[in-house]
Parts: sequence; structure tokens; C-alpha cells
Amino acid sequence: MPDTSPASTISPRAHTALVRLLRVAFPHSRFPDGPYERTAAEIIAQLDASLWHRLALTQGLESLDAAAGGDFAGLDDDAALALLREIGDAEFFAFVRGVAVVSIYNDHETWGLLGYEGSSYEEGGYVDRGFDDLDWLPNPRIDEYDGPEKFVEVAADNEVSASGGGDR
Amino acid sequence: MSSTQHGPTTGPTTGPAISNEEEVVVVIGSGAGGGTIAYELTARGIRCVVLEAGPYLKPEDYLNDEWPAFNQMAWLDNRTASGPYRVARDFPNLPAWLVKAVGGTTTHWAGATPRFRDYEFRTRRYYGGLEGANLLDWPITLADLAPYYDRAEMAIGSTHRHGRPALPANNNYKVFANGAEKVGYKFYATGPYGTNAEPYDGRPGSIQDGFNFQGDKNTSKWSTAVREIPRAIATGKCDLRPESQAVQITHDARGRVNAVLYLDKDGNLHRQSAKIVCLAGNSIESPRLLLMSASSLHPNGLANSSGQVGRNYMRHTTGSVYARFEQPVHMYRGESMAGIIADEARLDSSRGFMGGYYFETLALGPAFLAAFAEPGAWGPEFTEILDAYENTAGLWIVGEDMPQETNRVTLNPALPDQWGLPAPDVHFEDHPNDVAMREHGFSRADMIYQAVGATGTHHTPPYPATHNLGTCRMSERPEDGVVDRWGQAHDVPGLFVSDGSVMTTGAAANPTLTIVALAIRQAEHISEQLGSGS
Repeated sequence: MPDTSPASTISPRAHTALVRLLRVAFPHSRFPDGPYERTAAEIIAQLDASLWHRLALTQGLESLDAAAGGDFAGLDDDAALALLREIGDAEFFAFVRGVAVVSIYNDHETWGLLGYEGSSYEEGGYVDRGFDDLDWLPNPRIDEYDGPEKFVEVAADNEVSASGGGDR
Repeated sequence: MSSTQHGPTTGPTTGPAISNEEEVVVVIGSGAGGGTIAYELTARGIRCVVLEAGPYLKPEDYLNDEWPAFNQMAWLDNRTASGPYRVARDFPNLPAWLVKAVGGTTTHWAGATPRFRDYEFRTRRYYGGLEGANLLDWPITLADLAPYYDRAEMAIGSTHRHGRPALPANNNYKVFANGAEKVGYKFYATGPYGTNAEPYDGRPGSIQDGFNFQGDKNTSKWSTAVREIPRAIATGKCDLRPESQAVQITHDARGRVNAVLYLDKDGNLHRQSAKIVCLAGNSIESPRLLLMSASSLHPNGLANSSGQVGRNYMRHTTGSVYARFEQPVHMYRGESMAGIIADEARLDSSRGFMGGYYFETLALGPAFLAAFAEPGAWGPEFTEILDAYENTAGLWIVGEDMPQETNRVTLNPALPDQWGLPAPDVHFEDHPNDVAMREHGFSRADMIYQAVGATGTHHTPPYPATHNLGTCRMSERPEDGVVDRWGQAHDVPGLFVSDGSVMTTGAAANPTLTIVALAIRQAEHISEQLGSGS
């Protein structure tokens, strides 16, 4: 993760608002602050990607408090979500969402919390680690069907005559 | 993009140096089509130069990590998507998810290997005058291709074929197959699938390590990077040139191909003499190269007297369904797509559409599920999908889409690539038949999962295309298509197209097996031509 001091690029209030925005936009009760903090740092690190980023993002984040009537970070979940729905089409929000949807779910801490185990090859794959441990359904057939029913490739109504009746 | 060197680009692993002046068979691309052609020709003693735009990634380079692997191997050169389809809005610079590396897209293919059905070679005849569909019968039939399907299945090592055993049921398949059985489907199995269930052909059996879309570090999955390319090099007849971007195919005064111009990794232009060119750059780069090869004899692009180069672009009718359950699934453990239901892969217009489709198991990690489950979405409805990750089962719908003349690959002169060449634009719009098929698939998938207790399902729109077909289609008559029954350009002697762009129509099946079968057949034809001196 980039080591960026948020205070040097946007105000501490705007930084607090950004972390709050991320949690409201991508709410997971199981997630601690870490993934959201790291995602905020990544967004801020991209401020200088272009002048337009800097202008749009800074203005968008710095004005969240104004849109909230004073204190965005102090809004409850429903009120904050309602506000975000109003600004959902704003370019700065689309940028934040685009970075966040990659960063939050590429964070190894969130993988564990979601029940995903990550890289497997060096662990010998899952052949001895539960690839088939689902026990709430019976074990199904794995070979192809060999019963009496014949596969019908073309329904009777869709058959065409040997003289080529379907070619109109 | 990173320009990290992932493997040696010269020396014994890439074969003997062949002179640029020697008139050889030049193969452009090293994926399912190009890699197969190179092996089949060099095994017969025919000298080949293989130009591959990407680096030589080896299994030890592959990464069990979705985004880093994507950035390592995906084709990320400038491209645009246009038209009303949703990919153009959500992924405007990523119309397709393909691989730029030795082995091409076989590096990250999942592995399903169904054959095309007989009627799928004759869709004009069977589907009739479906409005807006530029249908044409293939100039070959299933019977023509059947012996080559056998050979392709042997090369790939498809399970369930030629005495090879099935892969075992993984967790995602258990949900999928039990649901299929409950709704009355019969024709389901864990294959045919191009990954070894037990050791075969010098490669090990699966260790159920997942990551099918990132390159198989265990090499149990077939790809031309682990089979055809190393074997071609071992013949001593193949000069593999990674990081070599073909930029033009040229012809002599009589119109026969005579060379390929290409850029090395430093941007230096080279000319490789050719007696035959096999173009296998996938269905976006192949027509792009033909369009960039316009000459006074071919003012609208090489081999384009029909006007069909780049047209009839097909991407399969797709969609995914992710279902939530009360108990754990762990869908990511094991071979991602080793589960196929074929019951809907048939022609029965009483369902409201022509053509058929398969269901195949599909698993993504949280990183890709977040990116692709519902592009652009956020909020509690979105995070609910991820929160259920551990208890989620997934499947993919893949079916035949209709060729349309206006769905096409063109040059975008407003957007240059990193070399200053016009980037390709991919324009696509669903045909109403595609929409009807997708909706049918979604509704049947819901039934499959509800039958085994799903508490909710999510319908995911088509991803950037992994199956790209049809832009240099095969036709009996030169005015209807770009190449003949052997894949040779109607207009240009010595020019063959050797990838999925030759497909006249796309069928329901995943295309890799058919691309390999067509390439084996084409190599035999080229070998006979060269042998007889014609």
C-alpha cells in the first residue's frame, strides 16, 4: 500500500469523510477499518494522476460536509446512504467507486473475512483440502448420462427436409 | 503496462534462428490456432517462424492472484468497445478478455470441450430467414470435422473422451448437478474438460487448485504453452519470436503473400519472408491486421473483396448466475468450469429462440466477483453478493449468438496503440434472439438453484468477451466470406486464417476444441499443398 499522508493532500475532515463514504458505499459489518483506510489511502495517492482528478476529487470530498448540512461523518447509515444515492452520478464518486471496488476486494484481510483462501498452488491445491467437502447434498453423478433417454438435437418442428426447406 | 521480462526471448527455448530472408511458413499468434498449426507443421518437417505479440510466460511465472495475473497476461493494448451493449459502458477499453503471451488465450481458458452439433454447421438452413441475422451455412459439415475432433480431444486430453476418466465432483459442481437432476436435466457431467483427471501426455493430474483463468501452474490443464509450442521447438524447425507484433502482411505483384512485417519489443521493424502465412491473432487482431494490410490490389483491406473482414463479430450469448445458500459452498476450490449441462444445447424454437446454450460451472474470487458481478454497482444490494461469498455457487450461460453484419471490428483512427497504429474498435449489439436466449438461461438457472435451496440469485451481465468469433468467416462462395473451406483467403493465395475468426457461425459450444480441430485439419492441407509443390 502506498505510504501517503492524507493530511498533506486533503484536509483531515475530508479524509474522515472519505473513509466514512467508503464504508457506507461498501458496507460489510464484518470488516474492520483497515481495508477502508487502505482504500482511502490509495484513492488519495491517485490525486495527482491528472489535474482533473485533483480538481474533481478534492472538490467532491471537501464538499461532502456541506451536502450533509455540516457533518457527513456524523450522519447515520441511512442518511449517509441517501446522500450518496443523490451524488451517485457525480464524476468524483464514480472514480472513488471504481478504485474502491478493486481495492477493497483485492485486500487480503477482506478475503479471509469473506471466506476465501487465496493462492492455493503452493499449498498443494485443494485436492486434500476440501474441494469436495460439501456434505449437505448427495454426491452427484460425474460421468455423462447413460440412461434410456436420447438427446434430441433438433426438435421435430425444427427439422428441415432434405431438399432444404428451411433456406428461405 | 509493465514491460517486465518474464522469460528468455532468445536461445534454445525459442528454437533455432531462421533467417528473415528464408521463405517459411509464418504463423502469427501462438494460441489454440497458431500454436497447433506450428506444432502440426514442424512435426512434418516444415519450417515455421512464430510471431507472438506477448512474452514467453512459463507456468512458474503464473500467479494465483486475480488482478496481478490479469495485469501480467491480459491483452491491454488500446482497444475500444462501442455500440449499445453494456460492455461498452462498463469496460469501454476492454471489449475482450484475452491473453497476450506465448500460448495465447489457451493460457487462461477454462477447459470445457464440447463439440459443435451437426445442425450448427447449417444454421441458414435450420434457422431460416431470421431477421437481422447474417446467417450462412459452413462450407464443411460435422462429418468433415469429426476425425479432427478426435485428434483435438487427444491433443487436449479431454476428460470423458477416448477412455479418459472424469474429473471428480467439486463443491460447486455438487450444487450444480444436484439442481440439474432435480429440475429434470439429464445430460450433465464434469466434462468433457481439457484438464487431466490423472496423469496424461507427460503432465500431472489435477490438484484441484482453482485459478483456471490465471494460467495453470500445475500444468494439468492443456494449453499450447505447455504442449504444442515446446514440442514445435523440440523439432528444431520452429523459430518462436515472442514480443513480436505483426503489423502488416504483404503480397507480391501476382497477389500471393510474400512477407510479414513485424515490430520487435524495442519497436524495430523487421520483414520476415513467407511462402505461407497462417494468421491466428484471435477475432479482433486478425481482422485488424488484414485491415492494416490494405494495398492497391486490396484497397479495402487484405482479403476483403467480400467486405466481410471484421464483420459478423460474435461473442457468444452469455450471462452468469450466482446463487446464495444457507450453508457453505466454497465454489473457488477445484477446477473452475468442470461442470457442464447440455440439455439446453439443442434447437427447439418453441423456447422462443433459435440455437442452444450450455450451463457450465463458474467460480470467481472476491476480487473478480466484485468487479464483474454487477459493474458500476455499490451499496448494500451489492455488498450482499460479496457477503455471501462463502455460501455462493456460480454458473455461466454460454450459447450461440447470431452473426450480424453491423457487429464488427474496425480500425479506430482516433486512437493509436503504443506503436502509433490504429487501435481496433469492437462494435456490438445483441440480436433479439440473443436476448431471448439469455433470459431463458437466467430463468432456468434460477430453477436449478432454487431446487436445491437457494435463498437468492444474482444475474450477472456478459463479461468482456472471452469467446471472440466470426470476423473472417468461412464461406463456399468468395462473395459471402473471407476464407474457403480450408481457411485459405478467397482472394490471397498463401494466406490462411487459423483461429476462431473463421467460424461461419458460433454454435453453442466453447470454441477452443473446434479451433484446434480446424487447425489440425488446415495443417494437414497445407502440408499436402507444400508436398505437392503447388
